[in-house]
Amino acid sequence: MSSNKIDRRDFLRVLGISGAAATLAGCGNTSIESGAELVESYVQPEDFVVPGVGVYYASTCTQCGSGCGIMGRVREGRILKLEGNPKSAISGGKICGLGQAGVQMHYNPDRLTKPMLREGDGLKVVSWDKAMGVLNARLGSKSTLSGQQIAFLTGEISGHQKVLLANFLESFGSTNHVVYDALSPVVGHGANKAVYGVEQPVLQIDKARLILSFGNDFLGTGPSPVRMAAQYARFRKAPRGTLIQIEPRMTLTGANADRWYAIRPGTEGVLALGLAHSLLQHPEFAHSIPQELAAALKPYDKETVAEITGINADAIPHMASLLWEKSPSLVISGPSAEGHVHGFSNATAIHLLNLILDNRGKTLQGQANHPFPQLSPAFGSYTALAQLNQAMSAGKCEALLIMGCNPAFTAPTFVPFANNMGKVPFKVAFTTQLDETSRQCDLVLPILSPLEDFGTHVAGYQPAGVELMIQQPLMEKLYPETRGIGDILIDLLKQRKPDAYKAFPDYYAYLKTAVVKAKPVFKVKESDDDFWEDALRNGVLRLDLPPAPIDARVAAIKVSAPQATEMGMQYPFYFVPSVKADLRDGRHANLPWLQESPDPMTSVAWDSWVEIHPTTATQMQIREGDILEVQSATGSVRAKAYLFPGIQPDTVSMPVGQGHTGYGRYADGIGANPFKILDPNFDEQTGELAMYSTRVIIKKTGENAKMIKDEGPTTLQQGRKLVVTMAADQAELAKEITRVTQ
Amino acid sequence: MIQSTDEKDIEIERRFVPKAKDINDEIAWAQINKDVLRSMERPRLMYWVIFLASLALFGFGVYCEIYQYQNGLGVADLENPQVWGLYIATFIFWIGMSHSGTLLSAILHIMHADWRKPIYRFAEAMTTFSLMTAGLFVLVHLGRVWEFYYVVAYPNERWAWPNFNSPLVWDATAIGTYLTSSIVFLYFGMIPDLAICRDNAKGVRKKFYWLLSLGWQGTDRQWANFRVAYLTVACFLIPLAVSVHSIVATDFAVSQQPGWHITSFPPYFVAGALYSGCAAIITLFIVLRYVFRFEEYMTMPILDKTCRLTFAIAMVWTYLNLVEYASVWYGDDPVAKQTLLFRATGDYAAYWWAMNFLGSVVPFALAFKSLRNNIPVMLVVSLLLNLGMWLERFMIVTPTFAHGFYPWTWTDHWMPSWVQWGIVAGSFGWFSMLFMLFCKIFPTVSMYEVKEMVYHRFVARKARA
Amino acid sequence: MSLSNLIKNWSSLRVKRPYEGQYKDKDYKWAMVIDLDACTGCNACTTACYAENNLPVVGKEAFSKGQAMHWIRIERYWGEGDALPKFPERGAQFLPMLCQQCESAPCEVVCPVGATHHTPDGLNSQVYNRCIGSRYCSANCPYKVRYFNWWQYPERAWPNPLEQQLNPDVTVRSKGVMEKCTFCVQRLVEAKNRARTEGRKVEDGEVTTACAQACPTSAITFGNLADSKSQVAKMWERQQIDLAKDKQEKSDENMRGYRIFEDLRTYPSIVYMERIRDLQA
Repeated sequence: MSSNKIDRRDFLRVLGISGAAATLAGCGNTSIESGAELVESYVQPEDFVVPGVGVYYASTCTQCGSGCGIMGRVREGRILKLEGNPKSAISGGKICGLGQAGVQMHYNPDRLTKPMLREGDGLKVVSWDKAMGVLNARLGSKSTLSGQQIAFLTGEISGHQKVLLANFLESFGSTNHVVYDALSPVVGHGANKAVYGVEQPVLQIDKARLILSFGNDFLGTGPSPVRMAAQYARFRKAPRGTLIQIEPRMTLTGANADRWYAIRPGTEGVLALGLAHSLLQHPEFAHSIPQELAAALKPYDKETVAEITGINADAIPHMASLLWEKSPSLVISGPSAEGHVHGFSNATAIHLLNLILDNRGKTLQGQANHPFPQLSPAFGSYTALAQLNQAMSAGKCEALLIMGCNPAFTAPTFVPFANNMGKVPFKVAFTTQLDETSRQCDLVLPILSPLEDFGTHVAGYQPAGVELMIQQPLMEKLYPETRGIGDILIDLLKQRKPDAYKAFPDYYAYLKTAVVKAKPVFKVKESDDDFWEDALRNGVLRLDLPPAPIDARVAAIKVSAPQATEMGMQYPFYFVPSVKADLRDGRHANLPWLQESPDPMTSVAWDSWVEIHPTTATQMQIREGDILEVQSATGSVRAKAYLFPGIQPDTVSMPVGQGHTGYGRYADGIGANPFKILDPNFDEQTGELAMYSTRVIIKKTGENAKMIKDEGPTTLQQGRKLVVTMAADQAELAKEITRVTQ
Repeated sequence: MIQSTDEKDIEIERRFVPKAKDINDEIAWAQINKDVLRSMERPRLMYWVIFLASLALFGFGVYCEIYQYQNGLGVADLENPQVWGLYIATFIFWIGMSHSGTLLSAILHIMHADWRKPIYRFAEAMTTFSLMTAGLFVLVHLGRVWEFYYVVAYPNERWAWPNFNSPLVWDATAIGTYLTSSIVFLYFGMIPDLAICRDNAKGVRKKFYWLLSLGWQGTDRQWANFRVAYLTVACFLIPLAVSVHSIVATDFAVSQQPGWHITSFPPYFVAGALYSGCAAIITLFIVLRYVFRFEEYMTMPILDKTCRLTFAIAMVWTYLNLVEYASVWYGDDPVAKQTLLFRATGDYAAYWWAMNFLGSVVPFALAFKSLRNNIPVMLVVSLLLNLGMWLERFMIVTPTFAHGFYPWTWTDHWMPSWVQWGIVAGSFGWFSMLFMLFCKIFPTVSMYEVKEMVYHRFVARKARA
Repeated sequence: MSLSNLIKNWSSLRVKRPYEGQYKDKDYKWAMVIDLDACTGCNACTTACYAENNLPVVGKEAFSKGQAMHWIRIERYWGEGDALPKFPERGAQFLPMLCQQCESAPCEVVCPVGATHHTPDGLNSQVYNRCIGSRYCSANCPYKVRYFNWWQYPERAWPNPLEQQLNPDVTVRSKGVMEKCTFCVQRLVEAKNRARTEGRKVEDGEVTTACAQACPTSAITFGNLADSKSQVAKMWERQQIDLAKDKQEKSDENMRGYRIFEDLRTYPSIVYMERIRDLQA
């Protein structure tokens, strides 16, 4: 009965045995050996995949706006690690921690894998057909929306994505591309523009013999940290340059300074004017600026300046003489000088020093004028968000598209963006992972991670010539139901402008066409396909252009001292938000490597903290780990106290980026969000939010918790000779062998 | 040994037999048998209280260990650099505890100190069981306990040997040897008594003791061989005991870490070991005396002598402890000095001062006869001394990790987690459980040697008369 | 080590290491130079190490308990002695600390099972499969750069699909074993194998560690000390650091190279170059 039955498995087994027997019998003369038959592996690797061998592909890092060229190590079709791309002058083959964590954004366990549509209070997973149906109904060919009713909110964005996005908005007759960045460089750009005629001059750090930096954290959070770190390394080789940093709270750059001064927040401009006053005593500089400006500097003698800034009076002529001795120098202003009501005038006062010292053209140059300005990034600003918020509040915004930006988290409390989102009938988020903002949207579309998608980028800071950075997928997409933002936009544009876009089957085709179109600019004699292949292989299209000249507009210099306010009585402390180089405004708080990477200054990880000077802490009887309530006129947050000597004693500081409530397992419930206690103070000139002008009061809650930090109970070497310091005049750098050369 | 009662022998006896009466020499030999064998029958209720409490503690320890085994040592709140914690501290403690058994049974045996006779058996059992407990800590402490046998030099096809440079391998070897020898020594000494047990037992127990007594008949030849063998093993054991704790000391002393890199560590460790062992003997003396109604054998004069011995060792330990501090203080190593200061003034200062107080001041209670003869006081004092000695081990291990060479990795207020405490408590449970089981199964007082004592007295009295 | 090997090489196994010219005729001796004046403390090396060597992210709880697994950590000091200055006027003192690959490593002698031992090319290697987790090596390491797997990280540190990032060339360590910086031994082995196939030695610059590769200021130089023409060998020579000496005799006092805890006679393979500060500023 059943014993006679041969099922399929038995049959195969029999075949196997007889097959083996046949092989044995024919050993030495098999069809395989004779070539009549091929042995095939069950595991068929993809094309270009050699099992066990890592291959590098070039692409572009999108973790911040610097636009570093990267190389991705790919093995068995998986992206494993990112390295710097030596072909790109921006990265120079190097990479920062933030950039490397890009793989964790790609592989993040909290990534959005399917489209989601609002149903009642929650978001429900839907199919792409349905999602695109909803999108097309609202924004497709039959859309009833027009003009400024539709807004596209993004973070800093450049390249062809930006162009496509603008074209899409334009099809509605809208120019409402709102770019918002909580850490906006707009005040600095404004001041640069006013004084030098360019928004962002190129800083030739390596050419300077003295850098005087007013809170510019170019090594940590500057416009191009990797590039500037490489320049800094050259700056420190023979002849070794000197770095002086002046800021209320020590940044990473400040930690590397030869001399660091703690200054009362907001008085940087006064110090700059004091330095100018001091410099003008030198006959060499006496005529470098117009007489009336020199006269306006009169009141800024060293005693007055010392009184206002809290910096020792003797330090001012000392710094001035150093500036005079060590030429060429470079004076730069940074966010902590610019983020005040008079931030713009602070910055111009600082730039005045460059004009007096005639650093223009030596250490300060203009960025090369390049042939594709339309690809240059749009920088985010607070004012843009405030305007959008107003429009939303007035019910003028009918459709809001959001990408790469999380205002629900970063917007201050007086911009009730999250609330006003309720007044927008149709909100779409394009994102790789749900965050506080996209959780409030009606439709959330999962887009490809930057490591799966094509794109082009043009960095806002072009250190040498111009680089059009090419971003290409480093692996197949991880989730089948994710789509590139470019493809989605092309789909929509095909509905809006069928004629213009029907030639492009997809975003790839569009991008390739667009990039190849730029071939004449690069003056290469190649076929279009070769040009494109080379671009992909190199990851960068370089144009060696000379730096552009910059102006010197002395008239733009503002001479004004900060006004004392009544706030000081009620809120005795200045509040300085600090920016961690890896978490930035909090958009990277979902990356475990970065959460676990200790803050360089405090060694704290996985947490927020309040930095307070040890003498202040002693006066207030605050110990490390005491939970403090930091209260401003706007709101309050709680965090543990960290005793930090690198801070002005009237100041407390908190890092931004933590305190997420809806950004995945690694970000949620970690620390507090100081964006929410910022006071509504604005820069007089640009209207930007003055991030560093908030005043706070510190209250002890009586609770204490263990600080989550890497360092032990001591912050000193205890005589162990771990880090030995040599005086600069002793070192013979010229005799040393080094990899870093001028 | 003593076979004739001629004048010379009497002279020897006069010289060696102490004047004070250790035990009542009126006791008949049959009474001794009866009393000791009774302890194996029905003890006081306290026995079961102690036994069940030990069992419960041991059970909790096992639970902690299983929890730790499954989750990893992270549950113990160990960290970098606090990598050892209580496990190694308690390991040294138990190793130390084992030394006094050897002191009493082997060293004092050779020196003909007769007063040891009623108490050496349980001291020797204590040695064996505390060594077994210490061995457990090595296993508990290992990250991959399932690979523990890598430490042993066993033949294998990869020719992978343990690293003979490592003090841990010396440890494993020394402890293994010492444990084996201790068991052999304990067993050897018990053979005549086991024969008595055999003669008085019935049923399965008879079979059991018959097997263990190896056909002991008490013939002259057997006694002669027995004496030689026993003495040989005793002589063998003494250097082993000294070497074991010296080797444990080298675990620390060969390293360069501040607070460990001290030449006087081996004698210091041995003294500490004898000290804590003697204190433990006092504790167990009092417990057994009560639980098994051994008042006739574990007499106050014997307790008095044990206490005096303990006091002497305490002073030796105190001296060596001061030598350690002095050699660091007057030495040329600023880092070691810093660590010493940290011990005295840092996070663990309270423990350090407590350790010095308990280890060096409390033993002065043993100097007073009135206190020595007060059993409750002695129970408390002996427990305090052991607490002090445990703290000493904790203070050797922890502060060096907390405040070592590398300031970045210093720790503040590091304390072990409940899992570590649970396992340490469990080890005490395991030890006293084994010990109580031993007392129930084997004669805790050496019958034949107590009989010798009575006999000697008898002979000595006759001589005096 | 087979018995015959043991007998044959007995005399060389008995010799005190390191000795002068130990690596003179050898192919490789991997070593490093870290310029503390160039190090900005940016942590790029740390993240690179996490990516290259499959270091687990331990999470908030474990990090606060001091169980972090950073093979290379950036330390930041405010002063040399034991008194905190009011303001760190000369900036911070950053120190990238990783396994010093000591030639006479305190960890190697004490490991009971020989799980950490010296390789012929001068690495202090860690054999995970042999490690039983006694943690004696960490206890004896003066630099405290050994990290123990307190938890079963493979189960918790890489939730799907993060595990796809793991480097297939590097073992993922289970609970109960010690680990530490390997000088990216997987890269070294690959380079050596490639060179051997091509019948040559590994060239200078052909292979580097993940930290050195990432470092934006090129503060870390890695290379083969046995090759006198390599960058690293030239730097060691110019800095007048002799691998086999525990006290360097420098004819030029202004050379910045030094090794940490040299007086402990660990003979580290990493030379640090003193941080410089312009004290006139």
